[in-house]
Amino acid sequence: MKLSVSRETFLKQLGVAARGASTRTAIQTLAGVLIRLEEGSAELQATDADLGIRAGFDAEIESEGSVVVPGRLLLDVARSLPQDSLSLEYRPSQQDVEVISGSACFHLRTLPLEDFPKLPEADAGSALAVPAAAFVETIGRVARSASRDETRPHLTGVLVTAEASDLRMVATDSYRLSVKETKLSSPLAGSLEANVPARTLQELSRVASANGAEEIAVTALDNQVVFTVGDVVLSSRLVEGRFPNYQQLLPESYEHELRIDRGELLEVVRRISLLAQKNAPLRLAFGEGSVEVSAQTPDVGEASESLPVPFKGEPFEIGFNPEFFRDGLESAETEELVLKLISPLRPGLIESGDDGGFIYLVMPIRLNA
Amino acid sequence: MFVSGRARILHADLDAFFAAVEQRDYPRLRGRPVIVGMGVVLAASYEAKAQGVRTAMGEAHARRLCPEAIVVPPRMSAYTEASKAVFRVFEDTTPLVEGLSIDEAFLDVRGMERSSGTPTEIAVRLRRDVLERVGLSITVGVARTKFLAKVASGVAKPDGLLVVPPDRELAFLHPLPVKRLWGVGPATAGKLCQRGITRVRQVALLPEAVLVSMLGRASGRHLHALAHNLDPRPVQARRRRGSIGSQRARGRSPWSPDAVDADVIALVDRVTRRMRAAGRVGRTVVLRLRFDDYTRATRSHTLPHATAQTDAILATARGLLATAIPTIERRGLTLVGVAITNLEDADAVQLALPVDRRDQDALPEFKGSSQHRLVERSVEVCRRPRRGSSIRGFSLGGC
Repeated sequence: MKLSVSRETFLKQLGVAARGASTRTAIQTLAGVLIRLEEGSAELQATDADLGIRAGFDAEIESEGSVVVPGRLLLDVARSLPQDSLSLEYRPSQQDVEVISGSACFHLRTLPLEDFPKLPEADAGSALAVPAAAFVETIGRVARSASRDETRPHLTGVLVTAEASDLRMVATDSYRLSVKETKLSSPLAGSLEANVPARTLQELSRVASANGAEEIAVTALDNQVVFTVGDVVLSSRLVEGRFPNYQQLLPESYEHELRIDRGELLEVVRRISLLAQKNAPLRLAFGEGSVEVSAQTPDVGEASESLPVPFKGEPFEIGFNPEFFRDGLESAETEELVLKLISPLRPGLIESGDDGGFIYLVMPIRLNA
Repeated sequence: MFVSGRARILHADLDAFFAAVEQRDYPRLRGRPVIVGMGVVLAASYEAKAQGVRTAMGEAHARRLCPEAIVVPPRMSAYTEASKAVFRVFEDTTPLVEGLSIDEAFLDVRGMERSSGTPTEIAVRLRRDVLERVGLSITVGVARTKFLAKVASGVAKPDGLLVVPPDRELAFLHPLPVKRLWGVGPATAGKLCQRGITRVRQVALLPEAVLVSMLGRASGRHLHALAHNLDPRPVQARRRRGSIGSQRARGRSPWSPDAVDADVIALVDRVTRRMRAAGRVGRTVVLRLRFDDYTRATRSHTLPHATAQTDAILATARGLLATAIPTIERRGLTLVGVAITNLEDADAVQLALPVDRRDQDALPEFKGSSQHRLVERSVEVCRRPRRGSSIRGFSLGGC
């Protein structure tokens, strides 16, 4: 196996692929990047057994073959090379890969090729093409609500549904729930429903934003999903277990519906949250025509600020995790938002003001005093 | 944090506490090797320790080492009583007492020079008072920092008093073996020993980054600070407890996955009840295991939010147990324990959406059927908050 390639091209695709490699694994090969030269094309592959990334690149192939090299090391080496081009050759007798750039020469021991899993192939015929910009935007609005707690695997995914001109993504970690419905400019050729790991979608966003592809081709297999974005293919297992029936979690009606300038509220929340440390709640005390946002951390200090809001009725105070509340305000994105509340122990809802199809349900923190 | 220029923190540690209470209450045990325990050594008198008996050792092993030892069953109520009496002496000595466990505490005696004398004089009197009023011997270390005071009492044991003057701190600390450092157990000591590091002085010579790369971030920084005698923590009176836990010794009887699971359920139930009673919630679930050879292992998992809910903690504890099963199969199991750390007051509890409700798992063909609509309606009724309903554990759909 031997190739020559421009350092820039190689580094760009290696940077994409190496993110798929495992950083902590018992299987040594999973920390590696597979370089595959086959049928006249060159590809880099990496996987941690959950997520797989394949990145094709243009190279001058002198002889074909496959080899697995430690990913992190190869990336560091490629970054440091002195010349704009490099050559890479597998030396079977030494079982290493020789990397040459200018007069710099590296020999990297290879990892066992037979342990490297075969990544699923996307079937171009059955793929559903979705517009990349809308898909990426929708991911960005909901993905942070997905759980990062591996002991609750069914909440680590984003439920992606697409049909006709409607794209919807839903995520919840049980403390908040994000739903974003996006209208597509033209109807899709098919439909899709899959619970995709949030990490996969975040990686997909990164790749799609970087390579500027207009479309993402999605193929849903039995328990896998494959995304093709330009010359990069991401494959991922789907999340096992049923995604919660989120409709059931949404209250049917609310006591208060307040239209609020999102920027103003966000500024206040960001400021006051500085004093909501060590899991201290952010307090929102609603009274006639205003809300007082306050926070207090024992031994650190306290802060408060009030903001006019069109509140009417019996005053009440509700507490939220500052980070969760801020996430909701940030994700709403529109100039105005609608904040819907029931009572101090029932969920609050943040809705984008322009009927932009975004809702964020957040459970409160029970306040004692 | 302010660290005063003078040694004024006392670390007071009762000597062989349980065994000493037995020897105090039963004169025939005095001067003889005493082991407190049932199956496992909970405490040993100094006479027994001299023969190599150690806490947590199996009783049979201990008897082989010290055949003349008298083994007595533990009397926890007597020890609790004695501990309370000793703490009363502490509190009569200074208002700033931070209890560490049933038999040790830090005392801060700053500003008491005129009323009570120098820290050394106070320490001498404290030892005398504990002996006269409670009948137990206690070792006291005196230094500028908590850490050094604790090291000093460890070195002075048993029945001793050691004062480390500020200008002698490093001279005292550096020749000590590394295992004297707070937080250095057999595993860390082993890692250091592999690199030929056995004395505190050698630790002090290493840059922090090197220690971090050897031992991990938290541990590396901690050790670096201690080896340079940096410990700014003040003595905190009435400190809230940092963990709530319970454990169960299983003896050497054969184990089965079901029996261990039953133990874990019982332990989680006990621990979460205590947490709820104390109005505390916690984030980190710790599973403690002791194997047939009396070596120990712990597994822990930190949840995103503090809880005292039995099911949430049980699910995590079972997950931890599952990862340990291969080890248990190889090495047997003589003790299992569950503890919750990272405790917070329960007055600010993050409520959760009922995402794991059973009705979510309704079969697809059942969904949309007339029965299902009926269930949905009844769920709706439940979902409306009832007036005067219990607030604790309330969440959307909490009916």
